[in-house]
Amino acid sequence: MKRHLQLLAALWKANLQSAMEYRAAFLTQVVFMMLNNLAYFMFWVLYFNKFNAVRGWNLQDMMLLFGIAATAWGIAAYFFGNFTTLSEIITLGRLDYYLSLPRPVLLHTLASRSLGSGMGDLIYGLGSYILSGYLTPDGFLRYLLGVTVAVSIFLSFLTLVQSLSFWMGNTTAISQLALNALLTFSLYPGSLFEGAAKFILLTIIPASLIGSLPAEFVKSFSWGALLQLLVSAVLLMLFSVWVFYRGLKRYESGSSMQVEI
Amino acid sequence: MKKYWAIFSTQIVNSLAYPGDFLGRSVSIVIFMLIFAGLWRATFAAAGTESINGLTFPNMLWYLLMCEVIELGRPRVNRVISEQVKSGEVAYLLSKPYNFLVYHFFHGLGDGGVRAVLNLLVGIPAVWLLVGPLPTLIGWGMAVTLAFGAWILHFCMMSLIGLLAFLVEETNSFELIYQKAVFILGGMLLPLDMFPGWLQPITKSLPFAYMMYAPARLFVKPDPTLFWQFLSVQWIWIVMLIFLLGLAYRSSVRSLAVNGG
Repeated sequence: MKRHLQLLAALWKANLQSAMEYRAAFLTQVVFMMLNNLAYFMFWVLYFNKFNAVRGWNLQDMMLLFGIAATAWGIAAYFFGNFTTLSEIITLGRLDYYLSLPRPVLLHTLASRSLGSGMGDLIYGLGSYILSGYLTPDGFLRYLLGVTVAVSIFLSFLTLVQSLSFWMGNTTAISQLALNALLTFSLYPGSLFEGAAKFILLTIIPASLIGSLPAEFVKSFSWGALLQLLVSAVLLMLFSVWVFYRGLKRYESGSSMQVEI
Repeated sequence: MKKYWAIFSTQIVNSLAYPGDFLGRSVSIVIFMLIFAGLWRATFAAAGTESINGLTFPNMLWYLLMCEVIELGRPRVNRVISEQVKSGEVAYLLSKPYNFLVYHFFHGLGDGGVRAVLNLLVGIPAVWLLVGPLPTLIGWGMAVTLAFGAWILHFCMMSLIGLLAFLVEETNSFELIYQKAVFILGGMLLPLDMFPGWLQPITKSLPFAYMMYAPARLFVKPDPTLFWQFLSVQWIWIVMLIFLLGLAYRSSVRSLAVNGG
């Protein structure tokens, strides 16, 4: 465990140093991503200007939901930036580099890249949570837990879907579709969906575990929600890691030459 | 004109080379429509009314479908131009016997046209199942006419963003902000009729309204007077943006420095 943390610390330090080489570009990405999120959230400002609430959700609740989802996405993108390009790495044979080193392949691959825009999401998410009015000492702890679960779901779900590349070859289109579905559904209250749709959003496309369920948990503590969040996150993570390493046994490459920077 | 027709038809053939992949991408539209159906069903139920600002629930879903088709079919020409500028390929392309921008126009039109048709093929059955039959034929006529103008407006804006690569290295951030401006000020997520009274005239005086709201509104509520009004304002914007694009292009080409070969 200690060695894993040391590896992560070293990778994140290297990523930060790399970003600081192009400081202006990094800051531009951060600022523009914050503006982008703010512009997107204007929809809810206008919506709740017209309608007071929808299925028990108001503007403050949506700020909380956005706060959790944006922070989680930001952390995943900034610290584990390869989580959206894993399929491409597998298909192009770029896992060779990671396999040749004595470090855990999945962790090393995911954390080897950092998306500067993720920092913008992270800062926006934190700001959105603070402004939502749910900032209390115990609420903040629940927010941190909700964000941790959401980061884990983002990483696990995308690792799982993209690991299909080991069996199916190029799955970029499916991965993009899965990512779109996960992201889009996670930014809407789960109570809008009923029956089969609700079940799907808690299982096949676990978007409710990123947005609305952690937001409900921050609003008011319940043992049931805590258990549901933790069990789902742990199970999905274990399953995705298992599938990745199962797939890795089938991995083939043309020993392509590449430079990892 | 013959060469541009060849570019247009070649791009259609290219786009149809992988129909499975293309159709797979079109599934995204079903995801978006399911979310919108959940949100607006709950909104109409909470409002306890059949119609909000003249739009019924089925109107709303068909309106949103038209917006999504326009959004998913809009040209991504900014990314291509930006890459060509950054890689220096633009110098090679400028020596070809066609106009650089007109080439991209017909190339993008072939690609966007196929995407729009496939999205309609997938989206229409989905929305039909959710809310019932299609809008009238006259609505289709007005919407398609205005959607073509909307596509030209998008092309001009995306090309202007692409040409920014002559000035700044990173242009993707500008696309994100532009996209959100269209989402919100164009009435893509919320029809402009539902905006606060003071904001409506402002949004209707900007080009974004004629990229989304105008075709989608007349698709579900055809109105000859409004059609001619929207069409004339839309083409005023088109003429202005083409003029601006021409200026930006000429100034960019003048500043181009080619070294070596």
